[in-house]
Amino acid sequence: MNDVLEARAIGMTFRNGDDFTEVLKNVDVTLQPGELAALLGASGSGKSTFLSIAGLLLRPTTGAITIAGQRVDQLSDAERAEFRNTRLGFIFQFHHLLPDFTATENVAFPAAAPAGGITPAMRKRARELLARVGLSDRLDFLVTRLSGGQKQRVAIARALMNKPELILADEPTGSLDRVAAEQVLDLMREVNREDKATFLICTHDEQVAARCTRRITLKDGRVEEAWEEHPVVT
Amino acid sequence: MFALTVARRYLFSNPAQTALLIAGVALGVTAFVFITALIEGLAIRLTDDVTANSAHISLEPETRVARVLPSPDAELASVAIVSTFQRRQIRSWEPAVALLRSQPSVAAISPQISGSAFLVKGEAVAPVAVTAIDPAYLDAISPISTEITSGNSSLGADGILIGVRLAENLGLSSGQPVLFRTDRGIDRLLTVRGVFRTGLQTLDEKVAYLSLQTARPLFLLPEGLTNIEVKLEDPGRARDVAAFLHEATGLRATPWQEKNASLEGALTAQARTGTLIQMFSLISVLVGIASALSLSANRRRGEIGIMRAFGVSSTFIAAVFVLQGLLIGMVGAGIGCVSGFALCSWLATLTNAEGIMLLPVAPSEGGYVAVFLLTTLGAVLASVIPARSAARLDPLEAIQQ
Repeated sequence: MNDVLEARAIGMTFRNGDDFTEVLKNVDVTLQPGELAALLGASGSGKSTFLSIAGLLLRPTTGAITIAGQRVDQLSDAERAEFRNTRLGFIFQFHHLLPDFTATENVAFPAAAPAGGITPAMRKRARELLARVGLSDRLDFLVTRLSGGQKQRVAIARALMNKPELILADEPTGSLDRVAAEQVLDLMREVNREDKATFLICTHDEQVAARCTRRITLKDGRVEEAWEEHPVVT
Repeated sequence: MFALTVARRYLFSNPAQTALLIAGVALGVTAFVFITALIEGLAIRLTDDVTANSAHISLEPETRVARVLPSPDAELASVAIVSTFQRRQIRSWEPAVALLRSQPSVAAISPQISGSAFLVKGEAVAPVAVTAIDPAYLDAISPISTEITSGNSSLGADGILIGVRLAENLGLSSGQPVLFRTDRGIDRLLTVRGVFRTGLQTLDEKVAYLSLQTARPLFLLPEGLTNIEVKLEDPGRARDVAAFLHEATGLRATPWQEKNASLEGALTAQARTGTLIQMFSLISVLVGIASALSLSANRRRGEIGIMRAFGVSSTFIAAVFVLQGLLIGMVGAGIGCVSGFALCSWLATLTNAEGIMLLPVAPSEGGYVAVFLLTTLGAVLASVIPARSAARLDPLEAIQQ
C-alpha cells in the first residue's frame, strides 16, 4: 500500500538578515493510510514547521515530499493550492471559520470556491458532515453564534468536505476547555476509524498524543523517536 | 458566481461602515453632477445671452483682394490690395438661401442689407446701424415684434423701427416722421412705426430696422444683399456648420464664437476649472474606496489566510475585493446620480424677484453616464491594490497572526 505521506531528508533553514536558523535537520517521516499520528515536541522543536511543509504551506530548503504517491515539493504555487484544496484537510488551533457565513456554508466553502458556488450536492454533503459532528441542529446558524467546541467541530467537518487523503491538525484542542477538547478528539478518532482517514496531529499535549495510534517526536529539528507504536488510551 | 456572494456578504457584515462608504461615494458623485450641471448651465446661459439677439452664423461676401499673377520670366514683388472698385454684396443670394432652408441644423435665416445711416430731427443727428430685412422674418434673429413698447412692428414701404433710447435721444415716438440719411448720401423721410425695448443698450440706442424694399434704393442695392444671418438649432455646432456653408456657398461664414472670442476663452477656462474640480471629487471618492477596502483586507487577514490554506485561488480572493469595489462604485454612483439630479432640479427652481435662476444649473447636463461609468471603473481600479495585497497574502503568516 502506498504511503499517504512520505517526507525524506527534510531540512528547513530560515534566514533573518545574516542569521540562519536551521529548524529541521534531515527529517524522515512516513505515514500509512488510516494512521492517527501525533507529532510531538517542545516549543521550537520544529513540529509546526514540519506540519506546514507537509501541508504545502511552506517549501522545505532540502528534501522531498510525496503525498498519496505524488511528488509535491516541486509544484507551482497554483498547483500547490489546488492540491491543498482537493487532497488535504486542515484543522487549526483557532478554528478560523468565516464569521459571515453559516455552519453549512463554512463547511461547503472549500468545494464551493473553485466550483463557483454551492451546489445542492455540496450543501447535502456539508449538512451530512455537520450532522456527523453533532451539529445537525446548528446547520444554518452563523458560526459566530456557536461555542468554541462547536466551532472546532465545524472546522473538522470543513476539513473533511473534499474527502482529503491526509488531514493535518495543528493543536486542534489547544484553545478548548477539557470537555470540548475530549469531544473534538473523540470525533477525530471516530473519523479516523470509520473513514480510514489519515491524521497528523501536531501537539505538545501528552494526553492528546496518548489518544493517537502513533507518535513522532521532534527534538531540536530532528526526529527523536520515529515510528514508535503507542498504545491507544480509550 | 461565488466570489460575488462572498463580496456581498462582506459588505453586509458591517452595514454601517458600508453605508458610510457608499454615502461618501454618492456625495462625491453628487458634487461631480452639480459642478457639471453648473458649468454647463453657465455656458448655456452665457451663450444664450450672447446669441439670443444675434445670429449664430453670418454669411458675407469674401473680401476681394487684387493679386499679381506670377510670371515665369520676371521676378515680381507680390502685392495685395483690397478692391474697392465694386460694391461688396451677395449678388446671387437665392441659391444660398435655398441651401440654408434645406439644412435641418438651421432654425431661421434672415437675408439682410446692413449699412450705416443718420437719423436727423431738427438739429439733432444720431448715427444708426441699419438692418433691412424681409418684414415676414422680422423676428428670425432677434425677437423685435414682442419687444415693441409703442406703435407696431409693421414696417411697410416707408416705415422704420427704432430702439427706445434712440427715440428718447431724438424725442421721437411712433407715428412721427424722421429724416433718414444713408452713408450713400441719399435722404428720405420715413415714419417711425414702432419703438422697441430689448434691454440691450447697443440695440436700443444704435439699431434701426427697415424693410428690404425700403432699403434697396437707399443703399443702392437693387438686387443684392450685404449679408445673410443664420440661427441654428444648436449654437454649439456653429463652427462646423459655418465651415460647411463656406465650402458650399463660397461666402465668408463667421460663427458667433469668432465674433465673441473673449467669451469663448472664458467658457474654455470655466470648463477647465470644472474638469479639475470633477477630477478632484472623483479622486477623493477613489481614495476613499481604496483605503476602506485596504482596511477590510487587513481586518480579514485571518480569513483570507485560511481560505488560501484550504486552496482557494489567489484569483478568487482578488475577485472578492474587486467585486466589493464594483458594488460600492455602482451603488454609490447610482445614488449620487439620483441625488445630484434631485439637487440640481431643486436649485433650478430657485429664482430671484425678476424670475432669473439664482444658480444657472442645467439638471439634464449633469454628465450622468460619464460619472457613473468613471466612478464604477475607478472603484474597480481603486480596489485592485487591496485585492492584490489580499491575494498575495502568505496563508501561513496570516493564520499565525
